[in-house]
Amino acid sequence: MPIEIPKDKWAGSIRAITIGATSAEGGTRSRCVTIGGETTMPYLHFEAPTPNKPVIAIEIKSRKPEDWSPLLMEVWGEAMTDPAQWAKKSEEAGADLIALGLTVEDTPDDAVRIVKSVLSATGLPLIVWGPGQAEKDNEVLVPVSEATKGEKLVLGICEDKNYRTIVATAMANGHLVQARAPMDVNLSKQLNILISDMGMPKERIIMDPTTGALGYGIEYGYSVMERLRLAALQGDAMTQYPMIVTPGFEAWKTKEAKVGEGVPEAWGDWKARAIHWETLTAIALVESGADIVVLRHPESVARVKDAIEELITA
Amino acid sequence: MALSGIQIYKLLPQTNCKECSFPTCLAFAMKLAAKQVELSACPYVSEESKKQLAESAAPPIRLISLRANGTELKVGNEVVMFRHEKTFYNKPGLFLRVKASDPDLAKKVAAADAYKVNYVGMDFSIDGFAIELDGNPEAAKTVRSVTKRPLILIGNDAAALDSTLSQLAGESTLIYAADSSNHESLADVAKKHKAILAVKADSLEALADLTQKVQARGVEDMVLDLGGKNLGEWLTRSTQARRLALKSNFKPLGYPTIFFAAQNGLDKEAVYASQAITKYAGFVVIDTFAPEMIYPLLVLRENIYTDPQKPIQVQPGIYEINSPKPDSPVLVTTNFSITYFAVANEVEGSGLPAWLVVTDAEGMSVLTAWAAGKFDAERIAKAIKGFNVEEKVSKKRIVLPGHVAVLSGEVEEELPGWEVRVGPREAVDLPAFMKQVLN
Amino acid sequence: MEHSITFTGENIDAKVKVSTNTLLADAAHDAGIDIGQPCGGQGRCGRCAVQVTSGDVRRRSTLRLSLDDIAQGYALACQTVVEGDVAIYIPPQEKIERRLTTDRVVAEVSVPSDYEYPFTQSVRRMHLTLTPPSMDDQTDDWSRTQTAFRLQHRMEQIVCSVGLLRKMGEVLREKDWRVTAIIETGNLEEGHPTRLIDLRAGHEDEYAPLWGCAVDIGTTTVTLWLVDLVTGQVKAQVAEYNGQISRGEDVVSRIIYAAKKSGGDELRQRVLDTINGLLELACKRVKLPEGNLTPEQLVKATIAGNSTMMHLLLGIPASNIRLSPFITAVNQPPTSTAREVGLNISPEAVVDCLPGVASYVGADITAGVLSSGLDNAENVTLFLDVGTNGETVLGNRDWLVTCACSAGPAFEGAGVVNGMRATTGAIEEVWINSETLEPTYRVIGGGKPKGICGSGLISLLSEAFLTGILDKGGNVNLTAGSSRVREGAHGGEYVVAWGAETESGEDIVITRVDIDNLLRAKAAIYAGFTVLAENVGIPLETTDKVLVGGSFGKYINVEKAVQIGLLPDMEWNRFEFLGNTSVKGAYYALLDWRKRERISEIAKRMTYIELSADNSFYDAFTSALFLPHTDLRRFPSVESALGKV
Repeated sequence: MPIEIPKDKWAGSIRAITIGATSAEGGTRSRCVTIGGETTMPYLHFEAPTPNKPVIAIEIKSRKPEDWSPLLMEVWGEAMTDPAQWAKKSEEAGADLIALGLTVEDTPDDAVRIVKSVLSATGLPLIVWGPGQAEKDNEVLVPVSEATKGEKLVLGICEDKNYRTIVATAMANGHLVQARAPMDVNLSKQLNILISDMGMPKERIIMDPTTGALGYGIEYGYSVMERLRLAALQGDAMTQYPMIVTPGFEAWKTKEAKVGEGVPEAWGDWKARAIHWETLTAIALVESGADIVVLRHPESVARVKDAIEELITA
Repeated sequence: MALSGIQIYKLLPQTNCKECSFPTCLAFAMKLAAKQVELSACPYVSEESKKQLAESAAPPIRLISLRANGTELKVGNEVVMFRHEKTFYNKPGLFLRVKASDPDLAKKVAAADAYKVNYVGMDFSIDGFAIELDGNPEAAKTVRSVTKRPLILIGNDAAALDSTLSQLAGESTLIYAADSSNHESLADVAKKHKAILAVKADSLEALADLTQKVQARGVEDMVLDLGGKNLGEWLTRSTQARRLALKSNFKPLGYPTIFFAAQNGLDKEAVYASQAITKYAGFVVIDTFAPEMIYPLLVLRENIYTDPQKPIQVQPGIYEINSPKPDSPVLVTTNFSITYFAVANEVEGSGLPAWLVVTDAEGMSVLTAWAAGKFDAERIAKAIKGFNVEEKVSKKRIVLPGHVAVLSGEVEEELPGWEVRVGPREAVDLPAFMKQVLN
Repeated sequence: MEHSITFTGENIDAKVKVSTNTLLADAAHDAGIDIGQPCGGQGRCGRCAVQVTSGDVRRRSTLRLSLDDIAQGYALACQTVVEGDVAIYIPPQEKIERRLTTDRVVAEVSVPSDYEYPFTQSVRRMHLTLTPPSMDDQTDDWSRTQTAFRLQHRMEQIVCSVGLLRKMGEVLREKDWRVTAIIETGNLEEGHPTRLIDLRAGHEDEYAPLWGCAVDIGTTTVTLWLVDLVTGQVKAQVAEYNGQISRGEDVVSRIIYAAKKSGGDELRQRVLDTINGLLELACKRVKLPEGNLTPEQLVKATIAGNSTMMHLLLGIPASNIRLSPFITAVNQPPTSTAREVGLNISPEAVVDCLPGVASYVGADITAGVLSSGLDNAENVTLFLDVGTNGETVLGNRDWLVTCACSAGPAFEGAGVVNGMRATTGAIEEVWINSETLEPTYRVIGGGKPKGICGSGLISLLSEAFLTGILDKGGNVNLTAGSSRVREGAHGGEYVVAWGAETESGEDIVITRVDIDNLLRAKAAIYAGFTVLAENVGIPLETTDKVLVGGSFGKYINVEKAVQIGLLPDMEWNRFEFLGNTSVKGAYYALLDWRKRERISEIAKRMTYIELSADNSFYDAFTSALFLPHTDLRRFPSVESALGKV
């Protein structure tokens, strides 16, 4: 029998956003990454094609992180002591972008030097995060932003308590910002409004709805993302931004991924479980509308990339 | 289409007789609209109204129940596309596929049957087994001897299915699967044994034709195999089938679905299963019994099927902010997520180290919890003791939220040896308080 | 091109010549006339409205003018330019303020037109003339009285208290066996017998005043109206702080206090003292030929109040009200007597405590529904009671749903550094010049300001937001460029009045914490009614009218309340401000037993929705925790106002 498939007709769409600038565009990247532009809920090709597939960023740190899981230490090895090296290996592992996290130990000069070294080691577009404390973030991100004018980096992380300085410097130097709100549709939207009220062009905001790892609140982030996407499609201009999430960071915080000893036998093989933990967290978020997923383990990167290919080519 | 509370109210007697155990007819109508109560609770509803309400009350996706000796698995009855719209109700069953011909059948099933894993106080296990009938006519008996869980029988030989089902009398088993070539014989077997019949076809159109034919032959309980060559195609079909059932009230596809996670290889199995769990599958069949994969899948299923309408809470416990030391201050707050975030973010942003004790206040904010008796001296003391805060700190001093300054005396009584300080009412004032008052 | 402009008005008669496109305000200035422009000539406040009686002008903005206003020639002097010879009338300032479409004044009380003593009154006088006893007729006094009831009024089965028996012998004999009985008829409840309330010697004038009172026990304020039950007129209105305040500012603190040893007795005594004090005060205002009215002469009291207040008044333990699942001991207290309750009125006087619906929806709301007329509304109507507990009722004559949410006392001036009640010395309205960020304010009573009341806080918040002192998140923009915007002890703050201007000599400010409290209060109220409407599937914009009760002061500026997102963005003429709807409902019930029964019906009909049952309230609350709202599309008028500033 003939069936009429109900199709949603949406008034709105996600804004397409480009990260990184090639030399033609005033930067030094070998290629740019464009995300967003969706006009349907994730991967519903029978309604409309997905114009840009979700991309994967690999997270690296400015200094070797001593508290990361031994599994990550093992896979990245010596590269972890040199951000440029690490970025290069990440590119080889299939990253579309590099997410570089600065640390509290970095002076403004360190920060600028490290960011520049990463930029010269890889042609991929770059996300740069401050160490996560308001004053420190502003202290390092402003000089980084100025020293990389025109590269179209993503600077972060803007939160409601600290966004003005980061937004101002990103605006002045042609960068983008990552706007994070704690797993709440309204708070995400409010931060987007505050940032765009400052005059930030709308095609330079990426929203970070925050997520929890599998088993640690992923369902909140999952639903918040679905709701943000729905609101955007319904025409709410203040939610029409692509989304970035950090399943790698979240998953590798969990006991399930991080440690192999002193855990229940029913958890099974450590390494396989850890990869599953990161991969499944990321896949769920891709299914709920993530445009950038930031991961840590190359094996997870490969699996998530494979799944994205399948979703996109249906 | 679903009716609103007010629309349903207009069909009710409007006498507020309370016999349904709700205070007013409107209260009852709103519960009906939310599908949290049965219409039969109203003794006075007219036949005419019943007819009108039946349409909106019928579950758009049929509830399917698999039963074995005392174990039961319910699937279906879903009402929304997105979990935030209401909730996803019945978790998809996770089944392990085994071959009847496998010489180690009993051992494999027994091992998987015994698998149990604990997640935040709940014990999870797999739900049943899918036996591929490739010989060994006694397989069902063998499996039954080592597990009480519900079964799926995979096969297309009506006679073999018939004899196997005879060994499983009194159970409610799923047969996989009828297609255009064998649906009549399989439907007859299903009907005879009151079994559930899975049907499969290459397209939704063909599938709808098939379910109608099977229904015409006397089988009401069905499960759909939507086909699809990869993740993207299955997502499309699953979404379309669900939408047809929910939005178009299209009965021929108003059944739960079954998905085989290893269809494109074992290396994709976990990812495939995870999509099936998030995107509407009723049954997920895996080929690998690997705890390292099953555990995350069971957790994912639990997370996705958690009722999002419940207040958002954080896990009660002691949280470390900015690597606290034994002499860092101990702050107390409730487990309402926003309260927690407000406090944690302020302190984190200030760079000052602190221990944050989050009490179980049933997800309420400080004032609400205090008002409702969920954040009192007794509960605070219980948290301090329960989380062994004493072992972590050298300075036994806790800071209460300013809004519950009234509790300070009682907390001191409950916690001998502790100094109780009253902090600011608002989280935004915490860093200044910590800098100026606590040092 | 030169035009001739004439100005007239009270003590104004001037003429100037100006060129085309000159602002009326500038023309007036040239003519030596000062037209006040509190908002700094931004066209926002409407205070500079003048009437163009002839000639051509062009209005750049008509934001504050209705179509009617424009038809009558009104124009804003700061937004209107001359295009020819023009004659302008400058109205007195009070007239402008009254005329402004957004300022809604609270409705006055009048005796209901259908009130007719004694037919609708449950308490009435009856004259009795008893046959004096004799040696042949040794019937007892009470039986003799009952016989008179039977023979003269065909009334059987009268109930009498021991207290009355104690004075009966004397009263009967004082005026030669002629007495006036005050009775309560059995209309109220089935099987409720007629009860003797008082027996007075002689035959009183049948239509002389018969006294009663309507009381609203608020958590913060107790209000009492003294009423002549015969004419139905309100003879005195008095109010006083609830004496329980010193034992906790909100109902929860009171409940906790009441649970302590003898705490319940103490709170009961405190509120009784308050009411008895108000009775004395009210009675003093009524002069009678034989001297002052005394409380003992009152024969009926009808009481409204939230469920906690009612429990505490009656000495009923209230603990379960605050504990999940939030159950009261009683929603419909039985009719009682003054003696039992402890009111210092006639001991057998009827004390009628009105029925409530749930723990957090009490008799104040059922009475409010009655007095607002919501239960008779043809179209769906929204009723908001803006108090510490923000209660909302939505419905019409067919159905009523209600919810309550904790808004906190910010709009009553509490929990705000320089907040105060709407009494003398309170800043009740504020305008801020968007260029200079200098405020202009109006003080109740006209003297030096002492603080800011609810309506003042609403307009202050709105102005600070529109002029960019606050961003949409309520953050104070410290770089706004005025010494009034500064870093205070709790973050950013704005100085409304410098110490030199104020009564205390201290600066009057609004702080970041105040703003947060106000945002939370308005967000809770807005979320309450939006979720309620969603729950029953009624789009808010289809509600016919929005009735607002509460004690903001004598008026509220709708536009400002909309701009901060407290009230929904609707045409201003759909709002009505009703003042204290609770005492008014008690007053109606006091007069008319049919209305009293109506309140019982309302209580039974109202469907209470528990907002904490799911996350939708929380979601609505966080989205409302923004100026005016996270979803600006819900506030198109604010969107356009923002565009204009």
